[in-house]
Amino acid sequence: MGSGADSERTLYPYVTGSSVVAIKYKDGILMAADMGGSYGSTLRYKSIERLKPIGKHTLLGASGEISDFQEILRFLDELILNDNMWDDGNSLGPKEVHNYLTRVMYNRRNKFNPLWNSLVIGGVKNGQKYLGMVNMIGINFNDNHVATGLGNHLARPILRDEWNENLTFEEGVKLLEKCMRVLLYRDRSAVNKIQIAKITEEGTTVFPPFSLKTYWEFSAFKNPAASAVGSW
Amino acid sequence: MKLDTSGFESFSTQIEPLDGIVGDFSAAPAFELPNSTDFDGFQKEAIQMVKPAKGTTTLAFIFKEGVMVAADSRASMGGYISSQSVKKIIEINPYMLGTMAGGAADCQFWHRNLGVKCRLHELANKRRISVTGASKLLANILYSYRGMGLSVGTMIAGWDETGPGLYYVDSEGGRLKGTRFSVGSGSPYAYGVLDSGYRFDMSIEEAAELARRSIYHATFRDGASGGVASVYYVGPNGWKKLTGDDVGELHYHYNPVTPNTVEQEMAEAPGA
Amino acid sequence: MVKEQANWSPYDNNGGSCVAIAGADYCVIAADTRMSTGYNILTRDYSKICQLADKCVMASSGFQADVNALKKNLYAKHLIYQHQHNKQMSCPAMAQLLSNTLYYKRFFPYYSFNVLGGLDSEGKGCVFTYDAVGSYERVGYSSQGSGSTLIMPFLDNQLKSPSPLLLPAQDAVTPLSEVEAVELVKTVFASAAERDIFTGDKLEIVVLGASGIRREYMDLRKD
Repeated sequence: MGSGADSERTLYPYVTGSSVVAIKYKDGILMAADMGGSYGSTLRYKSIERLKPIGKHTLLGASGEISDFQEILRFLDELILNDNMWDDGNSLGPKEVHNYLTRVMYNRRNKFNPLWNSLVIGGVKNGQKYLGMVNMIGINFNDNHVATGLGNHLARPILRDEWNENLTFEEGVKLLEKCMRVLLYRDRSAVNKIQIAKITEEGTTVFPPFSLKTYWEFSAFKNPAASAVGSW
Repeated sequence: MKLDTSGFESFSTQIEPLDGIVGDFSAAPAFELPNSTDFDGFQKEAIQMVKPAKGTTTLAFIFKEGVMVAADSRASMGGYISSQSVKKIIEINPYMLGTMAGGAADCQFWHRNLGVKCRLHELANKRRISVTGASKLLANILYSYRGMGLSVGTMIAGWDETGPGLYYVDSEGGRLKGTRFSVGSGSPYAYGVLDSGYRFDMSIEEAAELARRSIYHATFRDGASGGVASVYYVGPNGWKKLTGDDVGELHYHYNPVTPNTVEQEMAEAPGA
Repeated sequence: MVKEQANWSPYDNNGGSCVAIAGADYCVIAADTRMSTGYNILTRDYSKICQLADKCVMASSGFQADVNALKKNLYAKHLIYQHQHNKQMSCPAMAQLLSNTLYYKRFFPYYSFNVLGGLDSEGKGCVFTYDAVGSYERVGYSSQGSGSTLIMPFLDNQLKSPSPLLLPAQDAVTPLSEVEAVELVKTVFASAAERDIFTGDKLEIVVLGASGIRREYMDLRKD
């Protein structure tokens, strides 16, 4: 809808990041994303950080247009700064940040000038775990586990199968690695440089990037057309 | 010297992307337009998505005693009947009726709006607005929105100081004075019955029956019309609803089932 | 560069079905809790029902972000109403407000399909049903959303009451008890979940009665 003639808004994304996967676990939230930045189908950048701490209680993950994400980070910096200026001992929690981002995203779509992202917001405040997401047109919800982009197709079925409320940190990381591995195998824009971040009552930790161990010798990878009869 | 009190004001947390979110709720609401480079295309697609209720037969005519107004009550969205109980005859005030054809929301909203304007006219001028005036108010509003996708085909019928009045008004800007109108997808069928049965000197009963029969025949042949045939009469003392009949039952009223006389009973052939 | 996803739409349909039934002194409002986009299920536990006033509950399906904005708009207007009039809005008043709110977005519509249920000033159950641009009607029962084409004929079959347009007028109150109405709603959603991919997971039922508000849940198919 809406033709692009003489337009000064984002008509399509340039540099994009792929899926973000996040889950609740025993002590808080775990989030995972790779560090690739695609320029169309070219893997243009290889160490883009897409998991960022926001304030004291929130962790933000983003997929989609990287420059729009960076603009969102600038908005949030200002929001948090403004909040800190009150110096009243109160601070914005994940719920507030999520709500803010929801309004920003929806408002931009109303102006026909969307921020081309799917955002995942996780956090812990006052013992309450919080995990939600919002997309470029303002659709938003909370769940025990969320995933953006192809992660919705490939990771969430695994999470629905294997997730439970009392996952330990180790189990949670293992589960996320499993999801990221499937995405690495089947999402062409995924790269094997992955970041995991956790947020608990104590604070946020973004772990250093690592690579997944892969095995490409499966017969389905070596000869993908074997079982496909017909026009392949 | 004036004190600078700006320091007492709270810090503004309203930063760039949020301006305009906090609407002024106490101010009179205004129509919001999409910020699209292609308004027509957007409008077309958006309206196709929401599929507003459509499909109608409505009619109205002036005769010796006043105005008769009738309509069916069906609303369809594509092939789906979204309602069988739509009030297509809208009571603007005790002396004036409007009919609904086209977009249900467009008709409902602007007729209500017209009702408000007519009442304000009454309060300002100590007399009721004429049918001519009211229909022109509506036509002018609709004309100002011309080309923006409104879909309204309405008849304004009423009784004023000059006697019975009847106007046809549509969203393309048309406004016609007349004695006989039918609007909607079933209108060709209704016109067929109405034109062949119309006489100016009908009694109220005859006119009501003609109106009801015209709607019935339209619902019979037009798939997008149906439900209940409502008939209103507007006379010197205002409007009155005369009949409201389920057209399913009307069918058997107009086509009574006569038990066939059996010419010959079937019987076992003897000794076959 | 090759355009990957050259276009975007400001709308999406997140599916879901809503039903409301009015009785002599109660009103049942129900909706499933699935939220989808295309063949994806985004979440299985998202409430589509919101209480706008003491005796007024809205169930909405369509585009979630629009529904959300609509809700916040109505909440805000109701809050102002409370400050100005020192009372809760009546259900018929809220019904007109919702209609106007939808129509003011006539040229950039809220893609939302709503039913409003509640009790009127006499304590009788009332249901209002809408299209996306604000045409509305008071009815005895109604269904909106992705499963409405499956649910509505079933309700017509079970509840069909004489049309309010008939003259002489006939009593149009739904002839069910509160318990029967809740049971009917459960049946109707179990059926819709069988054939509508956008309806399922869980059913949320809100019952408004003279004694107040009550919520019930029932599991639906999750496939």
